[in-house]
Amino acid sequence: MSKKNNLQPYVVTSLILLIAGVLSIAVGSVFISPRTVIDVIFSAIRGEVSTLDPNGVYLQIITDLRIPHAVLLILAGAALAASGSAYQGLFRNPLADPYLIGVSSGAGLGAVAAMMVRWPYTPLGLMVIPAAAFAGGIITVLIVAQLARVGKTVPTTNLILAGVAASAFASALTSALMINSTGELRRALVWMMGGSTQTGWGPVWGILPYMVVGLSGLVIIGHPLNVLQFGDEQAQQLGIRVQRVRWYTIGLATLSTAAAVAYTGIIGFLGLVVPHIVRLIWGGDYRRLIPVSMLGGAGLLLIMDVIARSVIAPQEVPVGIVTALLGGPFFLWVLKRSKSQNYW
Amino acid sequence: MKSFILKISSLILLGIMLSSCASPAGEAAPSEISLVDGLERTVSMEQPALRIVSLSPSTTEILYAIGAGDQVVGRDSFSNYPAEALEVQDVGGSMGSYSYEMIASLQPDLVIASEINTPEQVKSLEDLNLTVYYLSNPKNLNEIDDLLEVVGTLTGHEKEASELAASLNKRIDAVLATVAKAASKPLVFYELDATDPAKPWTPGPGSYMDELIQAAGGRNVGSVLQSAWAEISIEELMVQNPDIILLGDSNYGVTVEQVAARTGWENLNAVKNGSIYAFNDDLVSRPGPRMVEGLEELAKIFHPELYQ
Repeated sequence: MSKKNNLQPYVVTSLILLIAGVLSIAVGSVFISPRTVIDVIFSAIRGEVSTLDPNGVYLQIITDLRIPHAVLLILAGAALAASGSAYQGLFRNPLADPYLIGVSSGAGLGAVAAMMVRWPYTPLGLMVIPAAAFAGGIITVLIVAQLARVGKTVPTTNLILAGVAASAFASALTSALMINSTGELRRALVWMMGGSTQTGWGPVWGILPYMVVGLSGLVIIGHPLNVLQFGDEQAQQLGIRVQRVRWYTIGLATLSTAAAVAYTGIIGFLGLVVPHIVRLIWGGDYRRLIPVSMLGGAGLLLIMDVIARSVIAPQEVPVGIVTALLGGPFFLWVLKRSKSQNYW
Repeated sequence: MKSFILKISSLILLGIMLSSCASPAGEAAPSEISLVDGLERTVSMEQPALRIVSLSPSTTEILYAIGAGDQVVGRDSFSNYPAEALEVQDVGGSMGSYSYEMIASLQPDLVIASEINTPEQVKSLEDLNLTVYYLSNPKNLNEIDDLLEVVGTLTGHEKEASELAASLNKRIDAVLATVAKAASKPLVFYELDATDPAKPWTPGPGSYMDELIQAAGGRNVGSVLQSAWAEISIEELMVQNPDIILLGDSNYGVTVEQVAARTGWENLNAVKNGSIYAFNDDLVSRPGPRMVEGLEELAKIFHPELYQ
């Protein structure tokens, strides 16, 4: 009984992720029938050329565009949802999201600042903007943590307030840069709405190391976060090093979120909502909440992206718009259906 | 499946038709084309492109103007001129995102990107083994010649391109000669967007509008600004007091009556004299052959006395 219940959340979210992954590879602005997709993939595995795809265009679309795109979104969705749930536990605040202490506005500032310069068209030059976004996010969080620090401790209230203030400051700087720029305004706007315009495997390899460290770290931080829910003093007495847990959580969440933002831009709402959905359905044990949120976040983001790519194909809507547009009502529906009155 | 076969076979047919009409008899065998593009990349092709995807409206207009319209197999969502271009496959481009899979499926032998595209987009297309040429915008009206020449070379329409350039230059010279006779230069306010009428957007130095307004014998209110696109305060507008207002946002439904009804605008000379004109922004915002049409239109509005 209990064993079955323990596995259920993982099975359900993995299934959603699997279905979303298949959908994501099957659906695109170019129609490729499911039969063709399967034939193309299996022919490629056998090292043959599919008869349904004699000139290899479908294979190219599937392996160079759709699969890397899906992998990038799986990583980003997992990072945002896991960071969101970790932050909600750390700050003991249901409104906490992965961007709470400035990582997104810092990344935006970094990216837009890097766009002011015309970088050479070389592999290194193409890396500058995502690298600047990544660095901008991390530096902003470091500044926030430094400002919020009191002696050796960081009170969470200070962190939130410093985060909000630093975010506002960084956003204002970003706007000022954009207004003063002559040519690059459009590019900055495009980045703010949907992230980098680069496709293919490059972005995936670029962020993979940070994701591996960040995500695996967040999975094992579940137990101390559970204990932290009793309050700092209680947790301390129960043998948890509260300050250390705080720094680890912030570091891991920042690392993975900044990596996600570097290529996918700022995707709102996902990091806030997915942990709550998981919590409403399966409860708030962080040892389970964080990994299940990862799976759910990845699946949900993929589904949102399929919708974003197909509603007005061949045009694409930035996925962030769809996550907020559909994620909001979906969350409210789950909230309304939940039987427990105070689940938090 | 049936429609798919139909599509493929019509594509093949189109390809055969194109290749037969694009190699006119009597011309020397095409030698390899090698050009350096706007990103300092060397782009080489064995022969002029026969299946072209255009990623910007200005490029699409140039392609059609030099007779390469039949070679265009894909165009961005904003390409709305000439009307034939609308029949060509849309490959996206609104909100800065293109459908790379649509572009790949068209199997173009050349994708022409322009300054509205990012280097990352060029890289993404290159990663799909596509030949990409990044077309820089001309800095001024005179550089449209170079633009035409490049696109002519890429598409095998050098002759049409140079003929078009010559005729455009003739028309530019005619406008310049006519407006040189003008006794005075009207002060012109070009409205890009006045959603907030207290600080409308207007083109400043470095924009094509600024250059064209001056070439057509006018003075641009926005010349005092710092950047090519900026918001100007209504106070500055009142002090400068333009003689003519051009509504570049008329494409988005802004009318002369709406302008006259705005608070604070009723005392402007242009409003009092009824010198407010709807203007087709596409003529002056897209660096292509239609800019000359824009120049002529502007000159006629600024100096009707010279065009009687």
